[in-house]
Amino acid sequence: MPATPESAEPRAGPAAVPIVLLVLPFLILYWGMIYFDRNSGWFSQEVYAPYYSVAELTLYQPPTGGLDLARGKAVYETICALCHNNDGMGKPNQAPAFVGSEWVLGSPNRMIRIPLVGLAGPVKVKDQEWNLAMPNMGAALSDDDLAAVLTYIRVSWGNKASVITPAQVKAVKKEIGNRTQPWSASELLAVP
Amino acid sequence: MNHGPLLFLAAFFALASSWCGFVLAPQLQVGQMQQTNTLSGGATYPVARPGEAQQGLQVYRANGCASCHSQQVRQSGTVCDVVLTEAGTNQAALIPALVTLKCGTIPTQAEQRAAATAKDKPPARLQEFSEPGARDLLAHLPQPVRQGLTREEANADVKALTAAGAKASIWIVPVGPDISRGWGRRRTVAEDFLFDYPVMPGVQRVGPDLANVGLRLPDASWHLRHLYAPRLYEKGSTMPPYRFLFEKRKIGKEPSPEALALPAEFAPEAGLEIVPKQAAKALAAYLTSLRADAPLFVAPLVAASPTTAAATNAPGASEPVSTHAVPTTAPTK
Amino acid sequence: MFFCSACWLVLASAFALISSIKFHSPSFLADSACLTYGRVHTAYLNCLLYGFCLQAGLGVALWLLARLGQTPLAQPWLVIVGTLLWNAGIKLGVLGILRGDGTGFEYLDIPGYAAWITILGYLLIGLSGVLTFHQRCELRLFVSQWFIFTALFWFPWIYATAELLLVKFPVRGAAQVAVWAYYNTNLSTVWLPLVGLAAIFYFIPKLTQRDLHSGYLALFAFWMLILFGGWTGITHGAPLPAWMPAISTVATMLLAVPLLAVALNVHLTLYGKSWHRSADIPVRGAAVTEPADRNVRAPMPPPDELRPSLRANAPLQFITVGAVALVLAWLMKMICAGVDVAYPLNLTWLTPAREQLNSYGFFSLVMFGAIYAILPRLTQTEFPSPRLVRAHFWLALLGVLLTVVPLAGAGIVEALRMHDPDVPFVAIVKSTLPFLRASTTGDLFLAFGHVIFLINVAGLAVRFYRPRVAGAYADATADLSLSEAQP
Repeated sequence: MPATPESAEPRAGPAAVPIVLLVLPFLILYWGMIYFDRNSGWFSQEVYAPYYSVAELTLYQPPTGGLDLARGKAVYETICALCHNNDGMGKPNQAPAFVGSEWVLGSPNRMIRIPLVGLAGPVKVKDQEWNLAMPNMGAALSDDDLAAVLTYIRVSWGNKASVITPAQVKAVKKEIGNRTQPWSASELLAVP
Repeated sequence: MNHGPLLFLAAFFALASSWCGFVLAPQLQVGQMQQTNTLSGGATYPVARPGEAQQGLQVYRANGCASCHSQQVRQSGTVCDVVLTEAGTNQAALIPALVTLKCGTIPTQAEQRAAATAKDKPPARLQEFSEPGARDLLAHLPQPVRQGLTREEANADVKALTAAGAKASIWIVPVGPDISRGWGRRRTVAEDFLFDYPVMPGVQRVGPDLANVGLRLPDASWHLRHLYAPRLYEKGSTMPPYRFLFEKRKIGKEPSPEALALPAEFAPEAGLEIVPKQAAKALAAYLTSLRADAPLFVAPLVAASPTTAAATNAPGASEPVSTHAVPTTAPTK
Repeated sequence: MFFCSACWLVLASAFALISSIKFHSPSFLADSACLTYGRVHTAYLNCLLYGFCLQAGLGVALWLLARLGQTPLAQPWLVIVGTLLWNAGIKLGVLGILRGDGTGFEYLDIPGYAAWITILGYLLIGLSGVLTFHQRCELRLFVSQWFIFTALFWFPWIYATAELLLVKFPVRGAAQVAVWAYYNTNLSTVWLPLVGLAAIFYFIPKLTQRDLHSGYLALFAFWMLILFGGWTGITHGAPLPAWMPAISTVATMLLAVPLLAVALNVHLTLYGKSWHRSADIPVRGAAVTEPADRNVRAPMPPPDELRPSLRANAPLQFITVGAVALVLAWLMKMICAGVDVAYPLNLTWLTPAREQLNSYGFFSLVMFGAIYAILPRLTQTEFPSPRLVRAHFWLALLGVLLTVVPLAGAGIVEALRMHDPDVPFVAIVKSTLPFLRASTTGDLFLAFGHVIFLINVAGLAVRFYRPRVAGAYADATADLSLSEAQP
């Protein structure tokens, strides 16, 4: 079986690379730098297309409108959860539940008053009688913090109630003035 | 010159640089990611899928579902809507403010078509805005009054409306063809896949995108029936029937509660019933757990009611009707 | 090794046909779990890529290293054992995929338990290649050796990365997407072109008996490819922070440079005013810019004499079409990545079309050409039927056209209709069906082509081994009859 005559191994010609091809990558890199600058978010982990920078992303965050729940949650877990539990279910013989509580879901004015000076004496929460003393845990909080934590309680764990604003907290503080005596249930029920 | 080591070094350098860029850096950024908080409720996101859904993920993988279905929702931009929530007491100032802002909304294509064919007068939003239109608007609050704005424009409008005594808020609305099609409310981001292995965003859409199919079609029995007979719901479907995931068996003393309810042309012969095997049930559980619409810092959108402690990843959506809302009537495929 | 690749190819096309037919009658073979579309399609892709492409590529690479180094292959037993291991691994892997053990990462679907066998096989083959390179007698390097030597190291790195970080110790969450894209792009945009270009740059000059137009241009393409090719993987819609798709887009646009370099080189080697072997020392650097100089050059056969060689020479036809396909595939990739309006094209049929063009239209065709050129030289035997070889070429060309073009069409139609949110998805599916039908026909042509390829390779192997077997048999029986003759 005659094999085809073997040709010599190929040689590479010495033609030079055209200048255009040498310049082209630089042109493309120039375009690439501009493209990267505009579209990449500069290696930020938080920027996803179509946003192009963290600044733009921040601009397009929804307005909180009083709903700063992260803050409220943080305050809650520091101050209130010790007695009322992280899930708002309360602890027997220690603190009543917030979940579904009429004191939480009802008038904001009542709810704001409770942490400002405390609550003592017999009180009915969801058909259960409690007779302990709640200290004025919210007295040291700023208006914003107190509004945030109360809002958090009013909208979490299935609760659906309106937001409480720092302005409302400020107004209530003004109304109660220098009072330090804890509320009783009947006093609170008298508040609209 | 000894080229061998040079070539080896060249290959090493090139490989190492792209490795650092696309393996190391993503691992440092994305691979170390922890759970984050949603914007609306402060709840942690994502939550790991329940056990049956995790099994379902493996069924999804084993059957190569990712070769036809994608799980990436893309977004081409974000706009702001200005929503009037309360009219306030100063209507005399509010109505001129509304008219000045030209509060006609940008109608969607569907609305335009409906308006073109509607016999009645189109709703006030679509008309050239004037005083009667403004009064009509105020009768149906809350209502988006302007749509498709940038954040600066929206801020200015809210300021103007608040100055007139009303309460207005801004909705952040992602837009894009995938979103208009109802496949999601925002783009999918890395956080959505945090606890999944393997992550299968898909390469092609022979079938619809599944990133939010748990929101569109939350009924597991729908998925079971669809897996058994895709043509039951869509005559032209090219999805193969996954009959091997089901068992055809004789009806015992009484029909099994899990047996599929199928119409006549797909039902088995008399005396037999179709019962899903564990793999089918797991797959249906996985599909119903697929949601990627929680608002996050990296993918903001407005959700009106905050999230409650949910077993899956989404807050309930109970905001007033918006033209950007996902249609909830027929399952959009 | 080539024979095994041929068998895999036939198997791959069988899978491809099955998956294609499922589009037209979804109930086709639907009752069998292991033949469901998701598994069969995956098996097809992996058979094609690992069973054929990589194996044929390695075979061609080894031959080129040996031939260009003017040295016999080092440690052939390494290659034999490596091939056996590789095939065993792929067999096990494909069976695993059909059983449902696929990893879920497209193109990396071979389950973990089969993967390590496969990589071990590769390492042995690669070791033989490196040793061959090391012991070469011809010290001047031809460009193809650059490509191949780099490729030998490239694959284990990316495969090991992918297997370790995706299968063995998976990274968390969406980082898997990044690693997967890294592997995919390095395999299809870097490794396959490295070996394919090595073959193109070797065989086109050799088969046309002209010099490669410019060694520097080829090396320039090499550097651009390895530096930027590995960065191109991440598509626009991936669930990853924006800087990753941005870098990928820039790198993809930079592919324009090797694209032009390769296109220029191949075109000018084939049709340019290149220097014929019998010419005197050529004028340097004049080739590109001065067509008028053509007549001034040293004796060169008129162009007509060169054209027929392209037509009659099947391996050359394969390789040239392959080179064109590579250029087109890279162009498609650039369009999909770089142009804003083309983003919707990314999740449509255009992606498989481009992948098919790359792995099949480019790489497989180049491998066919290379194999058809190598085997006669390797075995010093001719193919039993040159007509079948030509038939294979035409079937392959038609097949590629009929698969890639309709799928690309389907992709474009799909993207346009997907853009309008009021078009129901089912309508979009319906509008792609005619294109899919056409591509099934293309798959059929390809399948016939593969069967012919197998026949060709088998025929040559039989021709090659028959005298040897006959001789060995004759020796054995001669001894026997001799011993019988002596009581």
